[in-house]
Amino acid sequence: MVSTDLTNVLLQPLGIFVLALAAGFLIPLVYKAKPTAASWVFFAGLGGMTFIAGFNLLSLVNGAATIEILTAGIVPPFSINLRYGLFEGGFVTAVNIAALLGAWHYLPTLQKHASAMLLYIIMVMGINGLVMTRDLFNLFIFIEITSIATYALIGMERSSGVLSAGFKYIIATSIASAFFLLGTTFIYYQTGTLNIDDIINHQQLIQGPVGFVATIFLLTSLIIELKPYPANGWGLDVYETTPGGIASLISVGVSAGIFFSLYKVMPLMVNFLPSIAVIGGVTFLFSNLIGLKQQNAKRLLGYSSIGQIGLLTLAMAMLYELDATAQLDLIIGGLFINHLLAKAGLFWLADLVNQKNIANWSSIAKKPSLVILFAIFISALVGLPPFPGFWAKWELVMLLSSHQSYAWIALILVGSLLEAAYLFRWFSHARNVNETAQLQIESTLWKSIPISITALLLLAAGYAMALMVDVAATELFLPLVVGIALWLVDGLNSRIKAVLMMIAVAVVGYKLTANLEGINSLFSYLLIGGGIVVSIASLYRNDSRKGFYPLLAVLLLSLATLLRSVNSLEFFFSWEIMTLSSYLLITMGNKGVKPALKYLLFSLGSAYLIFTGFAVAYSATGSILLADLGNSGQSMTLIFSLLSAGFLIKMGAFGVHVWIPGAYAEAEDDFTALLSSVVSKAGVFGLVIIAAHLGVRSEIGLDAGYILGWIGILTATFGAMMAVFQEDIKRMIAYSSMGQLGYIVAGVALMSHLGWVSALYITVNHFLFKGILFLSIAGIVFRSRERMMYKMGGLIKNMPVTFTFSMIAIIAMSGVPPLTGYGGKWMLFNALMDKGWYWIAAFAFFSSAVAFLYMFRFLHTVFLGQRKLEHTELKEAPAIMLLPQGIMIAAIMVLSAYPKLLLDPLSAAISPWLGGSLVWEGLSLQSHFGYWNAPMIMAVIGGVWMVPLILLWLITKTMKVQKVKQFNMVFSAERPSRPEHTHYAYNFFAHYDRAIGFLVKPRATVFWNATVEWSHTLAASLRIFYNGNGQTYALFILMYFIGMFVFNGGMSL
Amino acid sequence: MFETLGDWFGKIGNFWLTLLVVSAYGLLMGAFVERIMAKVQGRIGIPYSQLFINIVKTFFKRTAISHGVMFYLGPIFRIAGGVGTLAFIPVIYGSETFSNFSMSGDLFLVIYFMFFGQLGMALGAGESGHPYSAIGIARGLSQMTAYEVPFALAVISIVIQYDTLSITEIVAAQQGGWQNWTVMTNWVATLAAMLAFLGMTGHSPFDVFLAPQEIPIGPPTEFHSAYLGFLQINRALFGATKLILFMNLLFGGATSLIEMMIKTWLIYMVAIVVGVSFPRFRIDQSIRFFFKIPTLIGIMSIIYVQMVIVS
Repeated sequence: MVSTDLTNVLLQPLGIFVLALAAGFLIPLVYKAKPTAASWVFFAGLGGMTFIAGFNLLSLVNGAATIEILTAGIVPPFSINLRYGLFEGGFVTAVNIAALLGAWHYLPTLQKHASAMLLYIIMVMGINGLVMTRDLFNLFIFIEITSIATYALIGMERSSGVLSAGFKYIIATSIASAFFLLGTTFIYYQTGTLNIDDIINHQQLIQGPVGFVATIFLLTSLIIELKPYPANGWGLDVYETTPGGIASLISVGVSAGIFFSLYKVMPLMVNFLPSIAVIGGVTFLFSNLIGLKQQNAKRLLGYSSIGQIGLLTLAMAMLYELDATAQLDLIIGGLFINHLLAKAGLFWLADLVNQKNIANWSSIAKKPSLVILFAIFISALVGLPPFPGFWAKWELVMLLSSHQSYAWIALILVGSLLEAAYLFRWFSHARNVNETAQLQIESTLWKSIPISITALLLLAAGYAMALMVDVAATELFLPLVVGIALWLVDGLNSRIKAVLMMIAVAVVGYKLTANLEGINSLFSYLLIGGGIVVSIASLYRNDSRKGFYPLLAVLLLSLATLLRSVNSLEFFFSWEIMTLSSYLLITMGNKGVKPALKYLLFSLGSAYLIFTGFAVAYSATGSILLADLGNSGQSMTLIFSLLSAGFLIKMGAFGVHVWIPGAYAEAEDDFTALLSSVVSKAGVFGLVIIAAHLGVRSEIGLDAGYILGWIGILTATFGAMMAVFQEDIKRMIAYSSMGQLGYIVAGVALMSHLGWVSALYITVNHFLFKGILFLSIAGIVFRSRERMMYKMGGLIKNMPVTFTFSMIAIIAMSGVPPLTGYGGKWMLFNALMDKGWYWIAAFAFFSSAVAFLYMFRFLHTVFLGQRKLEHTELKEAPAIMLLPQGIMIAAIMVLSAYPKLLLDPLSAAISPWLGGSLVWEGLSLQSHFGYWNAPMIMAVIGGVWMVPLILLWLITKTMKVQKVKQFNMVFSAERPSRPEHTHYAYNFFAHYDRAIGFLVKPRATVFWNATVEWSHTLAASLRIFYNGNGQTYALFILMYFIGMFVFNGGMSL
Repeated sequence: MFETLGDWFGKIGNFWLTLLVVSAYGLLMGAFVERIMAKVQGRIGIPYSQLFINIVKTFFKRTAISHGVMFYLGPIFRIAGGVGTLAFIPVIYGSETFSNFSMSGDLFLVIYFMFFGQLGMALGAGESGHPYSAIGIARGLSQMTAYEVPFALAVISIVIQYDTLSITEIVAAQQGGWQNWTVMTNWVATLAAMLAFLGMTGHSPFDVFLAPQEIPIGPPTEFHSAYLGFLQINRALFGATKLILFMNLLFGGATSLIEMMIKTWLIYMVAIVVGVSFPRFRIDQSIRFFFKIPTLIGIMSIIYVQMVIVS
């Protein structure tokens, strides 16, 4: 009986303190006897605390009442009481789990001193107390306990940097504690109670100058503890110098406790909500901005920690300000758990890697498991799906938007982008396989287990949050599940993996997209079917390609979920998954890491614009359904502009195209084909969808469309012009992709039936010819190991099939009849003329003429002209690479001769959105201006081509034809000896450059580089407060208080 | 339209006739122009039959050299481009015999199909491995993008004016006297188009990509015998075809062969007169030239057609 009672008592939340204190007493005693046994006591204590917390949380979740713990047998306000409700339980459990895992991670150091274990456990207890207590003075006690334990723990490391940081820490927190005590005193003076609930109930008593000062003291104290910019230099020093095991507990544990304390007194802060929001916002934005300049891994994590806490503070203030405390659990809970797990994981990872400078993190580049963990943590921090931060940020932004707080949305998204910039730059170093030469780390499985558990918890928390919001969670997570499944068999032979991937994508993709109709259904054939066809080519490689196929599956299936998404949240989720997976795939290229970062940042910029667009739509309609976009009334133009800007960035429109050449050129060759032919179509799909819901509406008017049309055609023109001057074959085709997508944009912009038919037709055509070209190029690069066109030449002799395929693809691209390109150009031109967009039509003419230059150059410098001597033995591209090209060539031929096959479904899919239909006269398509009879054109051209062919064949048959050697030609009476002298290839269009090259000077690149430069300069100037001097930091804290006093109206008292 | 096989054969037969007439006319005119230029330079010049003789001669020359399959296909693409372009243009207005296959596509088709031969020829010449071929092509293509601009603008202006892309309808709209010709009704577009025409014909001052008078430079450098024969036929044929196109677009088309010959000859003389009067441009100069005044005129032609004609 006694034992049951004891169990009951111990299982109460109060048991946490009992256990902590008991362990605290026992550890030094046991340590004396047997050091290893002490760590068992330590873990038993910590584990017990975690268990109690979790156990009680579970019963609370299952509907138990909030647990009120009374002490001394008297009811509050006459005694101290603790509370264990859902929020408290969540925070305490999360912190204790993190602390437990942290202890596991940090054990080797903790074990060395009994006092270390003791302090650690007391520190955790202090944090638990901070969360649970309902008494203001008791809160002060717990703040002190936590601070002192933290300080002492910091001091365990005997290096000067740590000691100095610890000293600054204790100074700063002492001042903050003093503020807290003063505030408590004044409040007690006015209300006569220390019980927080009681104070809240009598808050009308807190008034006048004394009340104001009391509240300011209390608030400033807690804010200072949360390390607000600029009074946070001391906190940064601590993060930078202390070992990850402790830093993580400070970052996620202590901050959580203080943050929860702030939450408890929030009802008293009604008048200060705006300033709390500003403090949070400024801290979030500036920390992330300054993070850009930081090279030290742990200090970087410090900036990120402080920023995240700033975001939490901002979110909480806004929730109170907007009277939306019902969403505290989703938003604050989501952001908190996200920060807690991700930051803790990162601090431990930083410990494990043990490299101060982020540039040296390339030491983990060859440890895939660590890289994956790293990727998970930073993706979570940035707020990418499927992690909790994603859902929380979504809810927060939607909430802010429904109250028209657009400035806050902008701040949050800009801050997130900055955070992504430095975190992923850091990640870039870790992906940089080329630099790993000397650096090696000792990674023990044992040490990485807690980190892995944290990552799994993050995923689980993300899924749990998905279940809480209204989305088709199972389907959304399906791509990730497939990816993980494939990753588990990543050890198999590469070709088996590729086939498995294709089967998985086909089956799951079919399952996801089978019920689609209209435009979505058409795109599903293109993206999923096309994606599989293009990926056949990846079978040419037999190396292990770790991670490639799982990520590819995620990418292709995220396109499927994108197509089937019915609301903006699902759309955005899939969009971000697509962005992340394609980013990771680009980093796999040999030099892909750096351009991938650029790609990611532009993609995130694009994603955030789309996000904002959806948020504005939500605020206008109160619905996140894509189908309701059209009901957004007044804000329609704004929504359309934001969304289309997002999609244009993704498509690489004129001005924001600077990510294209690098990403396309440096990704692996077969993946570039997918990137251009398939992934870029996601942007097209987005543009078409929003145009269908918004663009065609009369509220928007034609102006938005007209601007879009100009952007499209300028993209086409400049894309083509820039392609002309490239020497690198992949960069050239990358610019060409940019240009071709420009036509699609122009077609969509027309908002007319024929315009859209042309846009979708060009989309399909672009998929076909770009797929072929990129795969051809992949074959060429694979054989020749060369990307510079002038270093090739004459390869037609070695690769006749590749040449033929390329030539057909080029003709299909150029718009020369009779192949598919002509139809696209004809329809686009007619649609433009129909609309009266004559200037755009003129540009379309010009850009397609310019496109001839690079198209010819590609065929000439690679396949024709003089073959290099070292290329004599090159073989044709592998058959498996030619197979998908052959399939696409067949498609081009069929569609060229009989385009009705494609045009009728396109027209039918468009009809619900835009009235009108294609006018057929027999097989001849009629427009207002002209007509296009594709089968007949094919027949006529076939005829006129065959006749001279036969004629010439007959003539030459009757004569002796001698095949001559390479240099046998009429060359100024000389016989050239080396192909390098005679192959006209380098700087092919020098004269064109001389004539109009000034038009394509890299202005956009200069602009974006300057943007980066300015951001860094700004960041540098914001760091001016961090001089490392403890006295200065103390002064800043005092000044911060004065500032709080003055800005909140203290002078007018 | 083409219900029976007989219809097809009839059409094809008619087209052969057109082809022969236009090629012969093109060769004749070529010789004629040669003679004029000789007279200007104080020479006697070639006999009228010379170009015919040349072709016969080249076809009977022994073909000794091949650089590869694409080299072989180059002239075929080239002549297919010339023949095909002609096939899509109605030569004589109102004549069933000379209407060719213009029912399969409109003006847009013709403009785009003109590239077909150039592209194929460029590839063929490329395989010869001769750097001069590649240089000539690089220059030719660049110049093409430049004269394409005023040409496109003029075409757009004309399409706006007649509200159609059908060449037959454009010619139909110009019937009823010279005052209805585009040159009279839309002289701005005509001016832009004729300036583009100078570049298109490849006569001086825009002939640097062929450099016909000096050492052989340009795409045909390596071609000989039957290949060259095809190229020579095409030169005549394609030249005449372009003249017919311009005649249709700008000068009221033709209702009889005689009218066609007179008009095209006169149009050609524009290029000849300019050619003998001006020295050759460097390629970057000629590109810049087309982007300046002719483009400006082209832009004005659209404004003109919108403000004056349509409204």
